[in-house]
Amino acid sequence: MATCGQGGRTSRRIGGIVLRAIVTLLMVAILNFILFRVIPGDPAGLLLDGSRSAVTSEQIEAQRERWGLDRPLIPDQVLDYLSATAKGDLGYSFKFRGQRVSDLLLDRLPATIALVGVAQIIAISAGVMLGIYAGWRRGGAVDTIATGGSLALYATPSFWLGMVLVVVFSTKLGWLPGYGAYSPGADTGSLAWLADYLRHLVLPASTVALGIMGQYVLVARAAMSDVVAEDYMVTARAKGLTSGQMLLRHAFRNAMLPVVTLVTLNLGYVVAGAITVETVFAWPGIGSLTVGALNARDYPVLQGVFLLLGTSIVFANLIADLAYGLLDPRVTQ
Amino acid sequence: MTEVVAGPRRHVRLRATKEFFSRLFERVGAWVGVAALAFFLILAAIPGPIVGPLETAATASGDFLTPPDSQHILGTDEVGRDVLNVVVHGARISLTIALIATVISLIVGTTVGITSGYYGGRVDVWLMRLTDFFFIVPSFVLALVIAPVFVEVIGRGREVLGFRTSLFVIVVVIGLTSWAFVARLIRSQTLSLRERPFVDRARVAGSSDLSIMIRHVLPNLVPQIAANGALVVAGAIYTETALSFIGLGDPVQPSWGTLLSLAQQAGAASAGAWWYLGAPGACVLTVSLAFVLLGNALDDTFNPRRRAIP
Repeated sequence: MATCGQGGRTSRRIGGIVLRAIVTLLMVAILNFILFRVIPGDPAGLLLDGSRSAVTSEQIEAQRERWGLDRPLIPDQVLDYLSATAKGDLGYSFKFRGQRVSDLLLDRLPATIALVGVAQIIAISAGVMLGIYAGWRRGGAVDTIATGGSLALYATPSFWLGMVLVVVFSTKLGWLPGYGAYSPGADTGSLAWLADYLRHLVLPASTVALGIMGQYVLVARAAMSDVVAEDYMVTARAKGLTSGQMLLRHAFRNAMLPVVTLVTLNLGYVVAGAITVETVFAWPGIGSLTVGALNARDYPVLQGVFLLLGTSIVFANLIADLAYGLLDPRVTQ
Repeated sequence: MTEVVAGPRRHVRLRATKEFFSRLFERVGAWVGVAALAFFLILAAIPGPIVGPLETAATASGDFLTPPDSQHILGTDEVGRDVLNVVVHGARISLTIALIATVISLIVGTTVGITSGYYGGRVDVWLMRLTDFFFIVPSFVLALVIAPVFVEVIGRGREVLGFRTSLFVIVVVIGLTSWAFVARLIRSQTLSLRERPFVDRARVAGSSDLSIMIRHVLPNLVPQIAANGALVVAGAIYTETALSFIGLGDPVQPSWGTLLSLAQQAGAASAGAWWYLGAPGACVLTVSLAFVLLGNALDDTFNPRRRAIP
C-alpha cells in the first residue's frame, strides 16, 4: 500500500517534469515562429531578395503559394511550422543559398560538441577537486586562493580570457595555435592530423573550461562545507576513519550531488559562452555559424540555432530534474 | 493616532538602517565593491573633463596600435584613437545599459513574482511556466535572436531616448529576458508574506489586492530586491559585453564589449596589442566583480544564515 502510494507520487512527479519540459519546448518553437514573422517585409520578398534580378509580383505570388504564406497565420501556418520543425525541416539559409539549415547545423555541431565536451571534462575534474579540497580545509591558503580566483573567473567574460590567452600563449610565446581548428594542408584522418586538431583545441577548450570552472569550485566547496558539518561525518571520525577514508567514502558522494545538477543545468550558459569563444578562435562550430548568420542577417540559420540551443537546454534541464530524484531519494518522499 | 506612532517608528527605522550599513561595511567585499563602483561611476558621469570628447577615426590623436607611452598611457587602437579616451567613454555606455536593463528586469521580475505569489492558483501556475522558460534559456541566447529582429522592426540609425537603435534594443532585450530568477525569489518570499497577520489586517480594513501588494508586501521585499539587483547588474554587464562582442553593439556609441569586438576584428590579439584588448576587458572584470561582491555582502547582511553562492 505504502509502496504503491509512493510509486504513484514518483510517476506523478516525473509526469509533471516531462509536461513542463514539453510546454517550455513549445514556447521555444512558438517564439521562433513569431520572431520570424515580425521582421518587416514579406518573407517571400526576403526569399527572392538575393537573386539580384528584378522580381515581379507574379513571382512573389508564386513564392507565397509555394511556401504556404497565403494561408491564415493561425492556425494553418503555425501548425505547418511546428510539424515541419518536428520533422527536422528548418528551412534554407539565406547566406549559403540552397543549403538546408539542418545540414549546416549538423555540419558544425561536432566541433562545438568537442569543444564543450573537452572543456566540461577539464572544468569538472579540476573544479571539483579544487572545490572539495577548499571546502575540506576551509579557511586555509588553498581555500582563500581558490575562492578568490573562482569569483574573479566567474566575473570574467570568457571570450576576453580567450583573447588574453591568445596574446600570451600564441602571439608572445608561440606555443600553441590561436586560430582555426586545423593547419592548412594537413591530411585528414591521419594521426598527425589528429595531433594538430588537438593542439588547436587546447586554447579554446581551456578558455571555456576556465570560464565555467569558477562555479564548480564554489559549488563543490559549499557542498563540502555542508557535508563536513553533518552528523555522519562526526560518526565516521568517531569510528576512527582517517581523513582520506572519510573524504572518499562519505563526503565525496554527497558533495557531488549539487555539482551533478549544476553541470546539467549549466549547459545553456556553457554553450552561450562557447559561442563567443568560438568567435575569438575562429573555431568552426555552431558559434561562428551564429555570428556569421547574425552579420549576414541570415534569419533562418539564426532561428535554427535558437531552436537547437533551446531544445538542448530543455533536455539538459529535464535530465537534471529526473537525475536529482534518482540521486537524492529524499526528493521523492 | 498614526502620527503618534509615526515618530518613534521613523526613529526605529533610521537606527535599523544605520545598524545595517555598519554591519554591511564590516565586510571587505562591500568596501571593495563600493570603491570600484564609485570610481567607475565618476568616469561614467564626467568622461569629458577627464579625457576630453570621444575620439573618432577623424579626430584620432595618435598612431596606429602604438603601445602605452607617456602620451597615451593605455596606447592607441587600430585607427589611432587613444584607448584611455574610448575606454572612459565606454564606461558611460556600458554602465548606463547595464543599470537601465537592471531596472527593467527588477520591475518585471518583482511584478511577476508578487502577482504569482499573492494570487496563487492558476495565475501562479501560468506565470511560473513563463518564468521557467526565461529561467532556463539564458538571457544571452534569447537576446541573440530577439535583438536583431527588434532592430529590424524599429529600423536602423535612429535614436530612441538618446540611444542609437541597437543599444536601445540591447537595453530592452536584456531587461526583458533576465528577470526570471528575481521573479522566483520574490514569489517565494511573497508566499510567506501573504500569510502574515498584517496582510489579513489590511484586507479586513478594506484594502484592495493591488494596494496590499504595493503598500504591504513590496516594502518587505526591498532587501531581496537590493541584493539581487546587484547580481542582476553583473549579469547584465556580462550579457551586454557578449552581445556587443558578437556584433550587436554600435560602433558610434562604443561600450566595452563593442571595443573588444573592434579589437577582435582588428586582430589585436594576434598582433600582440595587449593594451587595446586589456583595458576594456579589465574594466568589465572589475565592474562585474564589484557588483558580485556587493551583492554577496548585501545578501550576507540581510540573511546572515544563508551562505551566498554566486
